[in-house]
Amino acid sequence: MRHLTKSMMVLVTIVLLLSTATALFANGGAETTAENYPKGNLDFVAPGGAGGGWDLTIRTTAKILKDTNLVSVPMPVRNNPGAGGSVHLASLQEMKGQDRTITVYSPPLLLTKLAGTTDLGYEDVTPLAGLIADYAAFVVKADSPYKTMADLMNALKSDIKSVKIGGISSAGSMDHLQFLIMAKASGVKNLNKIDYVSFDDSAVAMVLGGHIDLFSTGLSEVAGLIESGDLRALGQTADHRVGTGIIAEIPTCKEQGIDATFINWRGIFGPPEMPEYAVTYWRETIKKLVATDEWAAAKEMNGWDDAYMDAPEFTTFLGKANDDFKSILEEIGMLHQ
Amino acid sequence: MESIMQLMQGFTVALQPMNIMWVTIGGVLGTIIGMLPGLGPATGVAVLLPLTFSMGPVAALITMGGVYYGAMYGGSRASILLNTPGDGAAVAATFDGYPMTQQGRAEAALAISAIASFIGGVIATGFMVLVSVPVARFAIRFGAAEYFQLYVFALAATASMSKGNRIKGFMAMIIGLMIATIGIDAQSGVKRFTFGILELQSGIDFLIVIIAIFALGEVFKSFQNIKEGKTHVQKDFGRIWISREDWKRCVIPILRSSPLGFFIGALPGAGGTMASLMAYNNERQMSKHPDEFGKGAIEGLAAPEAANNAASVGAMIPMLTLGIPGSGTTAVMMGALMILGMKPGPLLFQQQPVIIWGLIASMFIGNIILAIVNIPLAGGLVRVLSVPPKILYPIVLGLSFVGAYAISYSVMDFYILLVFGVLGYIMGKAKIPTSPLILAVIVGNNMEQSFRRAFTISDGSMQIFFNSPISIVLFALTIISICFPMGKAVFIKMRERRQAFA
Repeated sequence: MRHLTKSMMVLVTIVLLLSTATALFANGGAETTAENYPKGNLDFVAPGGAGGGWDLTIRTTAKILKDTNLVSVPMPVRNNPGAGGSVHLASLQEMKGQDRTITVYSPPLLLTKLAGTTDLGYEDVTPLAGLIADYAAFVVKADSPYKTMADLMNALKSDIKSVKIGGISSAGSMDHLQFLIMAKASGVKNLNKIDYVSFDDSAVAMVLGGHIDLFSTGLSEVAGLIESGDLRALGQTADHRVGTGIIAEIPTCKEQGIDATFINWRGIFGPPEMPEYAVTYWRETIKKLVATDEWAAAKEMNGWDDAYMDAPEFTTFLGKANDDFKSILEEIGMLHQ
Repeated sequence: MESIMQLMQGFTVALQPMNIMWVTIGGVLGTIIGMLPGLGPATGVAVLLPLTFSMGPVAALITMGGVYYGAMYGGSRASILLNTPGDGAAVAATFDGYPMTQQGRAEAALAISAIASFIGGVIATGFMVLVSVPVARFAIRFGAAEYFQLYVFALAATASMSKGNRIKGFMAMIIGLMIATIGIDAQSGVKRFTFGILELQSGIDFLIVIIAIFALGEVFKSFQNIKEGKTHVQKDFGRIWISREDWKRCVIPILRSSPLGFFIGALPGAGGTMASLMAYNNERQMSKHPDEFGKGAIEGLAAPEAANNAASVGAMIPMLTLGIPGSGTTAVMMGALMILGMKPGPLLFQQQPVIIWGLIASMFIGNIILAIVNIPLAGGLVRVLSVPPKILYPIVLGLSFVGAYAISYSVMDFYILLVFGVLGYIMGKAKIPTSPLILAVIVGNNMEQSFRRAFTISDGSMQIFFNSPISIVLFALTIISICFPMGKAVFIKMRERRQAFA
């Protein structure tokens, strides 16, 4: 009886340790200065859950920084998900002026503020570099009557309710807006009348099953189904052809006379008011990182396009991307005042 | 036949000693993770994610698969012994599993749960070999309207779950549906009932509600029992096995529930939780003695256990054949596939046959190993009942908080946990059944969203809900599952009256 209770306790202790290990992260602590930065553990954070796009980006970055010895201190990665990355954005405000935390963001960083999810935006973090890009793809089922972006836009122009657009993210978020940007550039009026349905992860199944007419998503998300011929991409939103094989055959919207592009960028950020020495260090390190063979291999494997931008250029880019979103949201009446 | 050949090749991969080791490690890890409140297969696979960088693709997938169905084995342990399910898929195991424990039949409950899980897993893996592509193609015929009908059907099961008092059952269900509306509404982007709290914008995770209502509820209840000196500690333990008669009662329910679970799991919008609850409800309605359900009917435990394990296998089908995540866990596994340089999609089977068939073969082996491991493991676990409540329940309480924190690393979840813990206690005091609330929290948001998606797609016409044979069949099933128990009750009453007059 006694030893049984004891062994139960041991089991429980092991189990407790196991589970807390998932929640804990290492803390460096030691004083750092410009000369010896980085010292102690860094803190790499994905503002979303495990297995998502942010998670994949930051883990790949940390791994290659380590493999290439560009950074020699430990870079444990943790997840701080919630409210489209806004939860992490809020916790970053408590790290003002610190130099340990490195995080990844993409367009939702801009959208959450514009939609009123949070009061915090890209001005409340320190942009270090733009890293990679994915592009929007507009896909239909293989037997869909729509063959080009023009077919689709014409259908919308003659009857705004005739095309049902599905996506993963919620209304007013990325999948919705990337399509509206293209629709606006094609001259479709009454953007707020276009039916957009948010489906969570099951959106792919919905377009495959013919339940929606168009699926607005990221190119890399559907590459497998485009290659297999189950889905057909009407267009993608880069300013150039991307990828290889069938993916490279997808025309850009620009080629089809729609004068607009959309980049689903991913960039690296530090906490607000990150010290100058740390900003300099990361700008230089990321510049070296994107030049490595390992990085080139990772980009190819994940279907990422190069979108490296150094901090000043990246900050300007963010400002412009923000304005684009703002005007669309304003037009459909979803801009948070 | 070609798939059988490829399966054989898969076995040559899965039977390599290293891979047997990985599936064992994955399975045991999954069992342990599954036992803890809040830590389910999704968390387990997520924890493994960083390791997959250094493992080969075969080893990584086999280990993750092991964690996934291992968690299904483990999930019900705590449900049966302590009435504290570790995961949504294990909720149904409390309905009859815990009453069995209270009657001193914990050994049989644990044994049938392992056996049913094993059979469910093996049958589902067999289906996967033979019919994965047709099933995947059928599953995509479910649109928003069909999902809505499916969720309504699942919710109709609450009618049979609210033991006796229907009004109280409905009250619980409505509270659950209300909880499910919290968060950003995906169709409009509008925040609902978030009170300016950032963490509430993603909604309340149903796992928090489960942990709060069951685990915390159990702790509160036992606190009272300890105070009143009404504690019961089991001292003698029998062998972990079942009698011939138990087996006879369970074999058909297990065989029926496995295909059901497999199919529900293969639907990208359903999952293990719905599979187990539907299997439970299904058995209860088919049973010759439905009044025994909820009071320790062994088949009421066997059916959901077989179904949730089968569902975990089924959930891999959309992932492997179409590149669509079928559940939260497979969403993380798909992330892992991408890290490993594979492109999820219909070509995966052709491009990576060794890896995929190796994974499928390992599911047969993994289920056998888990069945072997789980029976003696249960022999140790059952002795948790000999731990005095004064020691046991503080541990349960601690684990609940750790589990809640591990879901999204948010301190806010502690407060939500406490609020719902108290709610669960009050509901218990008022004799309001909690299961309808749990089910409503699980399906509520999906049900509402599906309804509105269908409405947008049909431009506001109700007809979309009856447009396809699938919708009509599901609607008919809903009507039957509501009317059948009522009709039966009326019929029995009439017969009694006639006999009284005769």
